[in-house]
Amino acid sequence: MRRAAWISLAVGCGLLLLACSNNPYPDTDDALRVFYTAYSEPPKTLDPQVAYSTVDHDVLSNVYETLLEYHYLKRPYRLIPGLAVRVPEAEPQPDGTVRYRFTLRRGVWFAEDPAFSLAGDGIGRRELRASDVAFGILRIADPAVNSPVLVPLSKIVGLAAFGKRLQQLREQEPGFAALRIDEQYRRAGPVAGVGVTDPDRLEIVTEQPYPQILYWFAMPFTSPVPWEAVAWYDGEAGRPAFSEVAVGTGPFRLTRYDKRSRIVLDRNPDWWGTQHPEWQAPSATYPSEGMPEDAARGTLDPALVGRPLPFLDRIEMRLEKETIPAFAKFTQGYYDRSTIPKESFDQAVRNGALSPEMAARGMRLERAVRPGVYYLGFNMEDRVVGSAAGERGRLLRQAMSLAVDGQEFLRIFLNDRGIPAQSPLPPGIFGYDEEYRNPFRTPDLARARALLVEAGYAGGIDPETRRPLRITFDTGDTSVQSRLRYLFFIEAWKRLGLDVELAATDYNQFRDKVRRGAYQLFMWGWIADYPDPENFLFLLWSELAQSRGGGPNTANFADPRYDALFHQMKNRENDDRRLARIAEMRALLEHERPWIELFHPEDYALVHGWLRGFAPMGLPVPTWKYYDVEPDPRAARRAAWNQPVRWPLAVAAGLAVALLIPGIVTWRRERRA
Amino acid sequence: MSAWLLRRLAWGAVTVLGVLGFLFVLFFATAQPEDVARRAIGEKAPPEAIAQWIANHGYDRPRLWNPEDPLDTMLFEHYRRMLTFDFGRSDADDVPISQRLRGGAGPSLALTVPLFLLGLPLALAVALLVAFFRETYIDRVGVVLAVVAMSISILIYILGGQYLIGVLLRWFPISGFAADPSVIARFLALPLLVGLLNGIGSDVRLYRTIFVEETSRDYVRTAFAKGAGDGRVMARHVLPNAMIPILTHEVVRIPFLFTGALLLESFFGIPGLGSITVDAIHANDFATLRVMVYLGALLFVAGQILTDLAYTLADPRVRLG
Amino acid sequence: MEAHVATNLVVLLLLVVAGFLAWRLPRNRYWRERLVEIRRRRPLALLGIALYVGVALLDAVSWREELAAESEAASPGLLEARSALERLFPADFQEASYSAPLAEREFYGGAPLRHPRRHLLGTDILGRDVLLLTLQGARVALLVGGLTCLIAIPLALLAGVPAGWFGGRLDDLVFFVVSTLASMPSILLLIALVTAIGRGPLQVCFALAVTGWVGFCRLARGETLKLRELDYVQAARALGVSEWRILWRHILPNLTHLVVITFVLTFSQLVLSEAVLSWLGLGLDGSWGQMIDQARDELSRDPVIGWNLGAASGALFVLILCVNRVGDAVRDVLDPRTVRERA
Repeated sequence: MRRAAWISLAVGCGLLLLACSNNPYPDTDDALRVFYTAYSEPPKTLDPQVAYSTVDHDVLSNVYETLLEYHYLKRPYRLIPGLAVRVPEAEPQPDGTVRYRFTLRRGVWFAEDPAFSLAGDGIGRRELRASDVAFGILRIADPAVNSPVLVPLSKIVGLAAFGKRLQQLREQEPGFAALRIDEQYRRAGPVAGVGVTDPDRLEIVTEQPYPQILYWFAMPFTSPVPWEAVAWYDGEAGRPAFSEVAVGTGPFRLTRYDKRSRIVLDRNPDWWGTQHPEWQAPSATYPSEGMPEDAARGTLDPALVGRPLPFLDRIEMRLEKETIPAFAKFTQGYYDRSTIPKESFDQAVRNGALSPEMAARGMRLERAVRPGVYYLGFNMEDRVVGSAAGERGRLLRQAMSLAVDGQEFLRIFLNDRGIPAQSPLPPGIFGYDEEYRNPFRTPDLARARALLVEAGYAGGIDPETRRPLRITFDTGDTSVQSRLRYLFFIEAWKRLGLDVELAATDYNQFRDKVRRGAYQLFMWGWIADYPDPENFLFLLWSELAQSRGGGPNTANFADPRYDALFHQMKNRENDDRRLARIAEMRALLEHERPWIELFHPEDYALVHGWLRGFAPMGLPVPTWKYYDVEPDPRAARRAAWNQPVRWPLAVAAGLAVALLIPGIVTWRRERRA
Repeated sequence: MSAWLLRRLAWGAVTVLGVLGFLFVLFFATAQPEDVARRAIGEKAPPEAIAQWIANHGYDRPRLWNPEDPLDTMLFEHYRRMLTFDFGRSDADDVPISQRLRGGAGPSLALTVPLFLLGLPLALAVALLVAFFRETYIDRVGVVLAVVAMSISILIYILGGQYLIGVLLRWFPISGFAADPSVIARFLALPLLVGLLNGIGSDVRLYRTIFVEETSRDYVRTAFAKGAGDGRVMARHVLPNAMIPILTHEVVRIPFLFTGALLLESFFGIPGLGSITVDAIHANDFATLRVMVYLGALLFVAGQILTDLAYTLADPRVRLG
Repeated sequence: MEAHVATNLVVLLLLVVAGFLAWRLPRNRYWRERLVEIRRRRPLALLGIALYVGVALLDAVSWREELAAESEAASPGLLEARSALERLFPADFQEASYSAPLAEREFYGGAPLRHPRRHLLGTDILGRDVLLLTLQGARVALLVGGLTCLIAIPLALLAGVPAGWFGGRLDDLVFFVVSTLASMPSILLLIALVTAIGRGPLQVCFALAVTGWVGFCRLARGETLKLRELDYVQAARALGVSEWRILWRHILPNLTHLVVITFVLTFSQLVLSEAVLSWLGLGLDGSWGQMIDQARDELSRDPVIGWNLGAASGALFVLILCVNRVGDAVRDVLDPRTVRERA
C-alpha cells in the first residue's frame, strides 16, 4: 500500500512536470492565422431569427449574412450592400404602403452541410435564392420560433396574419404540423409584404412609411435561412436542434460548438467573396475610407486596404466566466483582444489611456461609445415617487436626480468607461446634442435639498412618519458586484436625508414585483437594436408601458404630450422637424424626470499589437472578417512573456525535507537506544 | 439476504420518490413560468412569444389537479419524466438535457477521478506518516497543519492558486479545458492541486485518528512487543484493519464523482456537470437543476445500497437481518 | 420592525442561550472538569473566539440618536442607527474610493483623503473602511453559525430522540425525511431552498439548518436507541416513570456532550458554507464571504489591491482555525469515539 502511495505520488509529480506550461492551446497551433477571443456567457441560441445577445451575434454573424451591412469604419453608421447588390430605395405606393425592392447577388452558395441532401439531389450544398430570405422573414412570424422581433417587423404587410394562419392550421388541420416546414409555410402563405418575383428578386412592403425597416435588413434576424437546415436539425435522433447549428452563406463556418467551453469557426473556402474577388463587393473587401481616427489606429493600413476578406483562417472562442483568468490570459498573449469586462482594469487603463507598461508591450486601447443608455427609473404609477404624487412627486424625482453624480459613478465603477448621460439619446444617434446639458443631471446637493423642502420633505423627513422618507430600490441582481453599485446611489440619496432601502431579490421575484407594479425605483439599461432615435424614445411611450402588458416602458411613464410628439417623430426621415420634436421630448423628460439618466456605455477593447484591422463597432454586426493576425510576432512574444518561475518548487521540496529529517533522525536514535 | 435486499431497494425507491416530491414543491410551487420564459427568450420578448414558450415547455398545465384529465398535470408529468429518464429540454436554451449530461460527464470525471485516486493515497500516506511518528513534533505539527488546511475557505484556495501559480509563477494555464491529450494535463494540473489541498486537511485528520486508535489496540501492542519492525506493523496490521472505516468513508463519495466538483469546475472553466449545475443556478434553469439533484440523489441511494452490500460481503461479522 | 431592532433581538436570544449554558454547565462536576481541561488545552484559541464574540456583540447593539435633528438636515447620517462598534470609529469615516492601508492619498488619481493615515486596512471601492467592514463581518459569521445551530440542533433533537425512543411509524417517518434530505447533494439543496424561500439572513440560516440538522438527527436517534437499552433507563420504565419524563431526565442529559461537540464542529462548516453561498450570490450582506467575492477581481488589478481580500480571508481563517482547534479539544475531552464516524 505504501508503495502504491509512493508510486502515485511519483506519477503525480511526473505529470505535473510534464504539464508545466501555461499555453492553453496545442503548441502546434502557434503558426496559424487564428484569432483567439473569449466570451463570458455561452450563447443562448444560434437561430438567427431568435438570437438577441451579443455573444449569439458574435458567432452567427460570421456564418449567416444579411442583405445589408454597416460600413466598417464610417460614422455615423451607414448602410452598405451585403447579399443585396445595392441598398434599395423606398418606393411609396398609391395605397400608402411603401415598397423596397432587393436584388440578390447570383453565385452565392450555402456552405456544405448534410441538411442539403434532404432536397433530394444528393449534393451537400445549394445556391442562395430569394426564397431563403423570405423563408427567414416568415420564420419571425412563426409562433413556434418565438422570435422576439415580431412586433416591430409586423409593419410588413401580412406578416402577423401569416403567423396566426399558421397557428390555426397547425391546431385545426390534422397532419398539418407533421408536414415539412417549407410545405407548411407555402400552405399558410402567401404574405403580401414579402414577395419573391425571381430567384434573385425580393420585394418587401410595409403598411406605412417605416424607414427604419432597412436597419432590420442589416440585423441577423432577417438572414436567409435554408429550409432544409430547419427541417433537418430538429433535435431528434441524435441530430442537434437548429438553435445549435449554423448553416449560412458567410465567410466562416461553425466547425465546433461546445458552447460551454469552446467554439471554433473555420474559414469558408467557398464563400462568394473569396470565389469572386473581382466583384469588389463592399462587404467582401477591406474598406479604403474611414474616419480621422482610423489613420491613427492603423485601420487604414495600406497592407489591408482593398484586399479581399476574410484574412483569418480560424477563430477560436473560449468561455471565460471569471474575469481574472480572462484578463490574465490576455496579458499572457493567449487572447488577441480583451473587451475589458465589467470591472475596471486599472492595470490597463489610467485616466482613459493605456498604461505605459502595456503600451511598451505593444498593446493598443480602442474605445467606442455603444449606442445605449443606462438609467435609474421611477415607477410612475407609484404613490410616492410617481405621477400620482403630482407636483410633490416631480420635485422629489428632480431632487433625487440632482443628488446622483453620473461622472463619479463612471469614475468609480467603470473607470470612466462611458460618458455621463443627459438624455436617453446616446452619441451617434440622430438627435443627440453634444452641447445639451440637463440641468438636473449636474449634481447640486443644495438645490436638491431646496427642492425637497418645496416638496414637503424637508431634510428628507416624511412629515407623516417623522422619519426619513423610505423608498425601495428594487433589483433582480443579487451579485455582490452590482450590490456595490446600488449602494453608491443609496449613499448619494442618504446625503439628502432619504432612506433608500435596497431590495435585492432573485430575478424571478423581481419580475414578479415588476408585474404587480410593486416597485418604486430600479436600474436598467438599453442597447440599441438599430441606430435610430425611435429605438430609444419608445422606451417611454405609454403604449409600451409595463403595466399595460409587459412592454419595455418599465417606468410606466404615460404623458399624452410625449405620446403625441412620439407619433410625429417616429416614422420620419431625419429632418429638421424630427430634430425639433426630439428636442421637445427631451425638454419634457428633463422636467418630468421619469428617468435619472446615468451614462452611455463605452466599449474599451484592449488589443495586442499583432492584431490588425481592429475597429470597435458597437452593433451586433459582423466585424471579424476585417481582422488579421500576425502569427510569428505573436509566437515570439508569447514565448518571451511566459517563462515559468521554477524556484518555489525547489524551496517547497526543501522545506518538506527539512521538516522530516530531524524527525526521522530522532526516531532512529530512539530505536537504537 | 434477498429479503433484506428487497427491503433495502424499496426504501431506496421511497427515498427517491420523496426527493422528487420535494423538488416539485421547491421548484414549481414558487417560480412563475413567465419569469422563467422571460429569462430564457429575453427581456424584450413580446407576451405572445412568452405564452408560446410556456406552452412548448408544458408549464401551462394545472399544477396538481386537472378535473378533465387527472393525469395531465405538472406533478404527474414531473414524476413521469424523471422516472423514465426522459429529461426534456433545458429551460434556459432548449438543449436536450440528456445530451448536456453526456457532454458534461467526461470533463467532470477527468477532474474528479484523478482527484479521488490521487487524494486518497496522498491523505493515507500523510496520515500514516503522522500516525507513525505519533507523540513527536511531526505528529503535532502535522495535526496543526491539517487543521490549518481545513480552516481555509475553498474560495481562497482557488483564488490564491490561480493568482500565485497561474499569474505570478506561470506554471499552468490559469483556467480552461480541452479534451486534446496533448494539453489536458496542463489544464487539470491546477484544479487538481487546489482540490487536493482543499481536501487533504480533514482527510488526514480523520485517518490519523483512525490509525492512532488502531495502533493502541492489543494486537498491535503484541506485535510491537514481539519485536516486529515499526514499518512492518503499520503496513501489515494497522493499515488493513483501519481500511474498513476508511473505505466506508470513501465509498460514499464515489457517486458524487459523477456530479462533478461545483466550484472547481466553475472557476477553472471545466465544462463538466458541476459547471452545468452552476449555470443552471444562475439562469434559474429549473429543468436542469431538478435533473442534477435527482441524479445526485439516485446515485447516492445506489451508492449506499452498494456500500451496505459490500460491507456484508467483506466483513463476516456484519449480518443482515 | 426596524432592522436594527431585529438584530438586537436575535443577539439577545443568543445571549440568553449562552448565558443559560454558562450558568447551568459549571454546576455539574463532570462539565466543570471538562471545561477546565478544554481551557487548559486551548487557551489561545478560546481567547481568539472570545475576541470575535466581543466584537460581534459590540456591533450587534445599535441605537439611533434621539431625533432632535429635524432641522439639522446637514448631517442626516446621524439619523441612522449606529452600532457600538461603529461608534468606536469617527462618524462619516469614508473616502471616495480605494486607498491603501494608512495611505494619505487615494489609490487612483491621488486625491488627498479626508482621513489621511487613519484607515488601518485601507478602504474599499466605495471608500468604506476595511477594518470596520472586517470587524462587522464577525457579527454575520457568528449569526450564521450560532443562529443556524440554534435552529438545527433543537430540530434534530426533536425529531431524532422521539424517533429512536418510540420507534415504529414515527421512526419510519423521521428516517424517511432524513434519508430524503441526506440523499440530495447538500449544496444543491441549499441553493434550491434559498431560491425558494428568499434571501434574508433568517432565510439563509433556516436553509442552512434544514441541510445541517440531518446528520445530527441520525446521531441523536442512534444514541437514543443505545441509551434505551441501558439498565437504569429500563429500570425507570419498569417503575412506571412517564416516557416523556424519562426522555427529559435521562436521555437528553446524556446527549448534551453530543450537542456541544456537534455545535462546535458544525459551526465552522456553516461559516465556510456561507462563503460559498456568497459566491453564488446567495450569501448574507456584510459577510466575509461577500467581501471575498467583491474583492475577487481586485487581484487582476496592477498594482494588486490585496488589503480587502486579505482582511476578509484573514479574519475568516483565524476564526475557523480557533473554532476548529477548540473543536478538536472538545471532542477529545468529551468523547472521542461516537463522533468520529461523522467527521
